[in-house]
Amino acid sequence: MTVDARRVETRIQNQISDVGSVADLVSRFCATHNLSEQLLVALSVSLDEALSNIIKYAYSDEQRHSIFVQLAYEPGTVAAMVEDDGRPFDPLSAPQLDLASRDRDRGFGIHFIRNLMDDVKYFREGGLNRLVMRKRIV
Amino acid sequence: MDVIEQEAGSVTIVEPRGRIDSVTAKEFGDRLASLLNTGRHRLVIDLKSISYISSAGFRQLLIANKSTEEKNGKLALCGIAGEVKRLFEIGAFGDLFSIYTTREDGIASVQ
Repeated sequence: MTVDARRVETRIQNQISDVGSVADLVSRFCATHNLSEQLLVALSVSLDEALSNIIKYAYSDEQRHSIFVQLAYEPGTVAAMVEDDGRPFDPLSAPQLDLASRDRDRGFGIHFIRNLMDDVKYFREGGLNRLVMRKRIV
Repeated sequence: MDVIEQEAGSVTIVEPRGRIDSVTAKEFGDRLASLLNTGRHRLVIDLKSISYISSAGFRQLLIANKSTEEKNGKLALCGIAGEVKRLFEIGAFGDLFSIYTTREDGIASVQ
């Protein structure tokens, strides 16, 4: 893990218990930049959803995989990037969640990301999935 | 995440503190299931001390809500404010849970 004023990054293994270290990183990052509670919650929940989806669904083997997470403080914006070497999957291709349904089992995570962040983009490059989530600092 | 429990007659008040996320949700759900399986069917979950709840946590609340209904019990939520309230709004949970502003109102509703 590196700790820099504007950019912090870490790598976790594909196990749910590792996601807690990212939550801690987000807390420290938001405190460093004096970011609002709203931004802290948006980043924390969105990363929890993205990482837990990768850990649950991206890998068909039983091997350990490394997932890269980066937080960047940019002019007027905060960006969170997640990179994994799992099967190609664009979470933005998932259909919108039917909120009239009582079944909230699948697709709920990306629903949160879409609603909490201002801009979400997916890229597939060099055998990696890369999800970049941005939120304006207001 | 810590979970504080209090009993008020037949009602159990559960107050989680900290994050309810993919790491802690199972422990939280297991605690609720344990209460329901030991005959504590009237639950008030006070969320005033959580910093946020992700979909993994909401899933555990939905499971507990369903389980309570199946046992002819009652489950109420209270203490939902600020960013946590916004998360409930994004998930459109107003219709799925009995939500009260104060703990007292929550307790009264499940008695």
